[in-house]
Amino acid sequence: MRGMSKWVLAIAVCGLPFLKPMAQDCPARPATGTVVADPYSINSHGGTLTAHFTLGHSVDSAGYTHFCYKYQAPGQVVEAPTLRVNPGDVISLNVVDGLSPDNSMKMDMAAPSGPPCGDGGAATINSTNVHFHGMNVPPICHQDDVINTLIQPGSPGFQYNVHVPTTQPPGLYWYHPHVHGFTEFQVNGGAAGALVVNGMEKVRPEVAGLTERVFVIRQQYLVPWIPGPYELTVNYQTSFLAQFPVIDMKPGEKQFWRIANATLQDFLELQVQVNGTAVPLEMIALDGYPLAQTRNQTTILVPPAGRAEFIVQAPSSGNAIFVTNAYSTGPTGNADIATTLATIQTTTSTAASSHMPESTPPSADGLKFRNLAVQPAATQRKLYFSEEFGGTNGPIQFYITVDGQKQKVFEPNEQPVITTKVGAIEDWTVENRALETHAFHIHQIHFRVLEIDGKPAANTDLRDTIEIPYWDGKGPYPSVKLRMDFSDPSTAGTFVFHCHILLHEDLGMMHKILVTP
Amino acid sequence: MKKFLESRFLRLIALAAGVFATSGLAPAQTHYVLTNDDLAFPFQTGVGFFTVGTNGLPVFLQQVHTGTFGIGGGYFGMNRLAVLNSASQKCVYASEALNGFIVGVDISTLTVGGITSGSDTDAGTTNGIGMVMNGNYLYASFSDSNTIGTFAVQPGCSLTFIGDTSVIGLHGGIVNGMALHGSILITSYTDGSIASFTISGGTPISNGDEQLSTATVTSQDATYANAIDITKDGHYAIFGDTSTALSVEVSDISSGKLTKTTVFKSRASISSSNILLSPDETILYVVNTQGATVSALFFDKYTGKLSAGCTSGPLAGLSQNWSYLGAVVPMSQSGNGGGVFVAEFGTVSGIATVPLTVSGQKCSVQEAKGSPTADPNTPGLLSIESFPPRSF
Repeated sequence: MRGMSKWVLAIAVCGLPFLKPMAQDCPARPATGTVVADPYSINSHGGTLTAHFTLGHSVDSAGYTHFCYKYQAPGQVVEAPTLRVNPGDVISLNVVDGLSPDNSMKMDMAAPSGPPCGDGGAATINSTNVHFHGMNVPPICHQDDVINTLIQPGSPGFQYNVHVPTTQPPGLYWYHPHVHGFTEFQVNGGAAGALVVNGMEKVRPEVAGLTERVFVIRQQYLVPWIPGPYELTVNYQTSFLAQFPVIDMKPGEKQFWRIANATLQDFLELQVQVNGTAVPLEMIALDGYPLAQTRNQTTILVPPAGRAEFIVQAPSSGNAIFVTNAYSTGPTGNADIATTLATIQTTTSTAASSHMPESTPPSADGLKFRNLAVQPAATQRKLYFSEEFGGTNGPIQFYITVDGQKQKVFEPNEQPVITTKVGAIEDWTVENRALETHAFHIHQIHFRVLEIDGKPAANTDLRDTIEIPYWDGKGPYPSVKLRMDFSDPSTAGTFVFHCHILLHEDLGMMHKILVTP
Repeated sequence: MKKFLESRFLRLIALAAGVFATSGLAPAQTHYVLTNDDLAFPFQTGVGFFTVGTNGLPVFLQQVHTGTFGIGGGYFGMNRLAVLNSASQKCVYASEALNGFIVGVDISTLTVGGITSGSDTDAGTTNGIGMVMNGNYLYASFSDSNTIGTFAVQPGCSLTFIGDTSVIGLHGGIVNGMALHGSILITSYTDGSIASFTISGGTPISNGDEQLSTATVTSQDATYANAIDITKDGHYAIFGDTSTALSVEVSDISSGKLTKTTVFKSRASISSSNILLSPDETILYVVNTQGATVSALFFDKYTGKLSAGCTSGPLAGLSQNWSYLGAVVPMSQSGNGGGVFVAEFGTVSGIATVPLTVSGQKCSVQEAKGSPTADPNTPGLLSIESFPPRSF
């Protein structure tokens, strides 16, 4: 979206009264120019991962609030640890909203139509909940419901018991708040972490025994709360001038990198460059789903909320850089600027890192959605993204619309715009009729990419988030055709699909789908 | 022979004078394209004067500094300039939304005349102040106070504030577009409402016909009416919609009140926030604000029906230089206008020149070579006008 408008819009929508000094709750973040450490990991034991998070925040001298998930590890409080589970485990996560019960910032929204889950009440900037992004888990209270679940400040907390299916694809997922109207504020620079479903080496033996790195790339605005100039961080480490986060690798070493794009809106066009030349990266998985075949790419596009897992080989000597290129999101989109995310330093004295388990006989049998490409779709739908500007300072409306229905922005109490049944296989064509690139995401399931712009996709990967480039004002609208699988009874319920540019989501580029049992 | 020639010369003079007298034409006036060089505080703003070059493109002449402050943007459907072309004076009025001032500039001398403000509560600091006028009154829509101020035209390109009329959409919408014809003033609101007022007594009095536009209620792609134009005979009011397609609505106002609008929709482009009837009313120009294009629809002034025409390609400089398209004026004040000049809002604001060619029921609109013409005095150009103005 056009910069000036968004600045004004943000202030108009949100006001500024919350920019007052508050608590300093969050753990200190790493210094610029230091070696990047992986997030602290919490592993499941005996089929259960047990953790207790407190949502906190810190405010710097400029009034900039950083939200954070705090976890009491032995001897230290850590921020947004990586949750590591096996298929079939239960994530037993207790979440306390440790924010001030100051309701100075409310949005005028209707209450959700469903039964309240958690504390109920009105959603404010201080309310929270958790979405387990990409996980094929039920959209119900205490699992992955984001429509009716609210955790309020001052309450004893809320217990998640998320049942990870035995068929959950091994890979990288992530968790973040998902309160409509306020998601961007809490994710901005802080409240988001990685979730790893173990077992990638069982499907993609190429990663067996490799050093594993988990990098969560976040984004924070330089001017508090205003969607304008921003900086990207790698595991909370910022860059400053020529000082960048440092990733240690041994000369010639192969590492397995797991990258989560936890930014608010940035389309990451990732490269590893040696002497200015992008080197091949061996693609292993996208959005937590192992690829049917690995492939080499020199550039990997990861939309907001997407994940990419790949093997990187360090140069035999000297250094390299890990970058995201400038990416055009269209005439009305934000400028995604070229950024050096980290320097890769070859050294023989790397710190201890986790390693992937050794290989077992590989098998992709039993993975969800594995045969989706050959299953016929009984229903075809068309949806489209569009934007509407009434002036340079707004009003601006962001829509995702089922073709044939009246365009409208999401309201928590709305009726589902799509109703289907457990067992349904559907093909959705999603068009972008806006002059800005959008990122389509649906909860609870992965989808298979069938076509791009009406032509068979070169890579029919399984994804949960996909970019749809902007329309240039001429010719057909850019589109993707996606095969949706609602065959698992665990999809029964009401959940959402939306643009994962978080401002768009917060302003209503989202709707509900009901899957009846 | 000499007498013959003198006689012929005098007869020609007399003939020319007769033509002017019977046609109402005055000696040719300089054709200006006028800009409201909207600048936000702390930069003082002004009114830009462009002449039209032999190649048809605007050429910057000078800026008349008004010494006031704008807001550097606002609603698309408002025009922040209003032109008076009466026998006694030629003026352009510019609204300056930060101060709440309306500044009159004498077009004959290119100097500031009067600076006027409305009531203490009139404000348009968020989205601007729109204006329309006739020979006697200027009406200013203040978008923050949701008021229409009535100002009486005074000599010296000045105004006198008369009073306010509070307005609001059916669902709390903010006043946006305005147009007037004879004794009727029509407004649009950001909630999709449209309404008309009688202005025969000067101050607007509601006609009691406020309603949601048809597209607002039924159309898949349109949210609310924005800019407004009215046919020369006052039979039809036309609304350009804020929409995610090309959407225009027409209301029969021959009764003196709004009637239910009919919708013309096309997927040729995105949004229709600014519209303009051609001088001969055969063409409705539509600025596709979000689509970065200009469309020309065929208009039947006898039935009020619109039919498909043509759409330009995206205008040059989108994204690099400018972000939005704004107001539109005809390139000439005769026939179908020959195309339009369109305001471009952005860091390099300017005026696009988009000629039209028509052949039967086919047409073409394409941006002229050399377009756009940069406006050196503002990064926030939304409103332009033409002098002399269209005759209705």
